[in-house]
Amino acid sequence: MDADAGAAPATVRLAFPPEARLLGTLRLVVGIVARKAGMGEEGIEDLKVAVSETCAVAVGDLNRAGVPDPIEVDLVEAPDRFGIEVRDRAPSASGGPANAADGEVDDRELGLALVGALVDDLKTSTLDGGGNRTSFWLRRVPQGLGADALDDLPPPLT
Amino acid sequence: MDLDLNVRKDGDHSVLEVAGEIDVYTAPKLREQLIELVSDGSYHIVVDLEKVDFLDSTGLGVLVGGLKRVRNHDGSLQLVCTQEKILKIFRITGLTKVFPIHGSVGDAISAPAE
Repeated sequence: MDADAGAAPATVRLAFPPEARLLGTLRLVVGIVARKAGMGEEGIEDLKVAVSETCAVAVGDLNRAGVPDPIEVDLVEAPDRFGIEVRDRAPSASGGPANAADGEVDDRELGLALVGALVDDLKTSTLDGGGNRTSFWLRRVPQGLGADALDDLPPPLT
Repeated sequence: MDLDLNVRKDGDHSVLEVAGEIDVYTAPKLREQLIELVSDGSYHIVVDLEKVDFLDSTGLGVLVGGLKRVRNHDGSLQLVCTQEKILKIFRITGLTKVFPIHGSVGDAISAPAE
């Protein structure tokens, strides 16, 4: 994580090849780690959506660019929050065409907007030598106290 | 991880029951099913999301695509969902204004066409 993340160590570091079929496994691991860190169920679901959307973009970018390098994910537990950083080696210009099939919305843009709405302090940057870093945090909400969190949701995007 | 789809007829409606996780890997299966339904002349579709554990933006895109396809035939696509974690995704993206979302398949079928 970047300097804003403080000195919190990465509790879990994952690396997986850019294959969409592995995103379900990634969500499973993120859910387990976040639950062990004391995140509430609503926060866990938000993290799973956010990391899945972020990594889906990375998978698409890497596949379009023909880059087989693994995607790296750090899961960082801090005293009052839980952080995730995703790194991939896709060329920055590989954003490419929308993922939308005929008649559908651009789910790439929709996905990134969704991530921004679900998590705190979303940051994106490029890696030295090429690639992308995306990081975000979510405040820790103890189990059973997340039901009112919807009141804090930002307004709809459309 | 898998996505299970089951289609049944209920009067003029086709009810598509979806179970599992809808993401960038599984969403094409849902897309193909919706395309097949419309191709077979089913223009009033109810998508039951009650057994869906996860929904991402690709899944949203597929549902929007299905809605556009049935509307090309003056049809309808209605959703059934009571799970807060799934409803939240629709709410954040503003798609609650696009999709009629009901609490049960019966409510969806009996709802007046929009």
